[in-house]
Amino acid sequence: MGTFVQLVIDGLSAGSIYAALALAIVLVNQATGLINFAQGGMAVLAAYFAYSFLQWGVPLVLAILLSMLASFVLGAIIERFLMRRFEQGDPDTAVVVTIGLLTLITGLCGWIWSFNNLQFPSLFPLQNINVLGAVVSVRSIGTTLVIVGIMILLQLLFIGTKLGLALRAVAVNPQSAAFSGLPVGRLLMVGWGLAAALGAIAGALIAPSLTLTPGMMDAALVYALAAVILGGLSSPIGVVVAAWMIGVLENLAAVYVPFIGFDLKIAVPFILIFIVLIVRPQGLFGRKDVVRV
Amino acid sequence: MAAAAGFLAKPWVRWVAVVLVVVLLVVAPLIFPIFLNQTLARIGVFAVAVLGLNVVMGYTGQVSLGQIFFVGVGAYVTAYGVNADWNIALVFILAALIPGVIGLLISLAAARLGGLAIAMVTIALPIIGVPLAKRLSEFTGGSQGSSARFSSAPDWTGLADDQWQLYIVIAITAVVFLLTRNLVRGKYGRAFAIVKGNEAVASSMGISPYRYKVLAFTIASLIGGISGFLYMVVVQYTSPETMSFGHSITLLASMVIGGAGSILGSLLGGAYYVLAPVITNNIDSSLTAVLQGIILLAILFVLPGGLVSLPRLWRRRRKGDGHSGAPAGGAGSRSAAAATVAPDVSPSAASVTAAPVAATPTPPEPNPPTQSEEKRQDT
Repeated sequence: MGTFVQLVIDGLSAGSIYAALALAIVLVNQATGLINFAQGGMAVLAAYFAYSFLQWGVPLVLAILLSMLASFVLGAIIERFLMRRFEQGDPDTAVVVTIGLLTLITGLCGWIWSFNNLQFPSLFPLQNINVLGAVVSVRSIGTTLVIVGIMILLQLLFIGTKLGLALRAVAVNPQSAAFSGLPVGRLLMVGWGLAAALGAIAGALIAPSLTLTPGMMDAALVYALAAVILGGLSSPIGVVVAAWMIGVLENLAAVYVPFIGFDLKIAVPFILIFIVLIVRPQGLFGRKDVVRV
Repeated sequence: MAAAAGFLAKPWVRWVAVVLVVVLLVVAPLIFPIFLNQTLARIGVFAVAVLGLNVVMGYTGQVSLGQIFFVGVGAYVTAYGVNADWNIALVFILAALIPGVIGLLISLAAARLGGLAIAMVTIALPIIGVPLAKRLSEFTGGSQGSSARFSSAPDWTGLADDQWQLYIVIAITAVVFLLTRNLVRGKYGRAFAIVKGNEAVASSMGISPYRYKVLAFTIASLIGGISGFLYMVVVQYTSPETMSFGHSITLLASMVIGGAGSILGSLLGGAYYVLAPVITNNIDSSLTAVLQGIILLAILFVLPGGLVSLPRLWRRRRKGDGHSGAPAGGAGSRSAAAATVAPDVSPSAASVTAAPVAATPTPPEPNPPTQSEEKRQDT
């Protein structure tokens, strides 16, 4: 029982990081209709920003906040000067542009900060506490709570504020939004910026346990994409639930199903996807797209 | 310019061009240095892989991120067969058939899904494939990989190994390209195009999108398997790393850079796949990734339709900006633009891709609704 609880909570913590990245992907997808493969790379870059701020003696929390700010600006710039050109064109080309961006950012990180593993301090104390007879790290619980908090903030932003309303309007129908006087271009920049800032949080949360390397987020990106499809592209809450499910299930499967083990546990979300999508092609929580012919 | 186009369109000019290319391909391996021969052979290998991806993605519009998996399976089947001393013809057939059957089984389920879901199912292939290949070490040799030497030049030819290998690659690549060209030009190609354009219209015309997606995916896997066989001919060694996710997305990038939905573009894509790392390594090996990213973005920024659309761009520049009718950005950046490649420079590619587009009976009236609907389908 102790192991089980421990596995579940560790799974939730890993799932939370996937969830943050997945939310960023959904945010961009809702606004522009494309999947941003560079989202993980941008998160790594943000973690390197935070690392540099730390080197200059900035306290950790402030460094992470500053890196979020820098990511926000960078995300907006990337949208305006790179992606804007491809948003109206062929979606395949746009996806490949984000792949190019991923290559570029990974290369830049390696060039500036080297490909060696760098130590990144944890936001939470490295203690363990006792929960239901299981030894659980404070980091796992803290990570999960941070993501829950951010989810609530995002929901408040999208439902309770004028900016959120405008962002949703652009996502639903950019043309109508433009006709009703919304600055669509600037809102798209804000959407990308928000996504990048979210990614920055994911980067700062995952860096202490994986150590900081340019390819740190590659696996997380795959899990996040799995969560996005499993949860349904149109449902932020569904995506978070799916990410948690993936985190917990793969942890459990790695330990309790001997054939899977630790090397094949990455297959778990995809087997899950395969089964779910055959029953519900729109994802667990997604809406079915209605297409007019 | 028009005179040149007319000259190039003449049948005998085309035949002369074809004969010239064939002669060049036959003679070149004999005179080129070893390194160049090997590079050309590798380009052939990956051109076939990109061609397979083009069938499912460029022509049928189904994003596949798993093409490299089938290349890997083909390579492993080849290695296993050769090491078990099977007949080489049998090995070749199995190297194509086994990935084809796997592709068929996967697509039977995956083709039920639309849009990005199919991308996500296919993304799983390389990601699961790598640890699976390590696990099934009886067949694959585990992390060490497995090597198979079977492509040394026979004595009677008097050729060096690299020349013999290049000939094998050229022969098989040429046949695969020719067959694929005929496929996408004919009835099936038109069906693929309409499935890509609008599935509802396809169904209403009695073309089952599901069946054609499965068909396209299966053919892509088959071609991927052949590419895997060729990979073993040239490289003679495969490991789980061959089918890593990174390679899969590079393959996708190569397809778009070469030109989606274009036969010539597949060749250019193969060249990009092989040459880009070589070039960037030569410039500065510590900047490889940065330079590759920059090259990719730069090409797409200038040529959203891929390298095959270069002649088109050039012609537009030459005609000058006075041509107000020429769409400057909008239509030019669409993939449809890539489909109607310059007819005067790449005759085969142009006619291949232009045929299905011209034959596609897209309803001409409501343009804006069609576009917004496309977008909704994607999300």
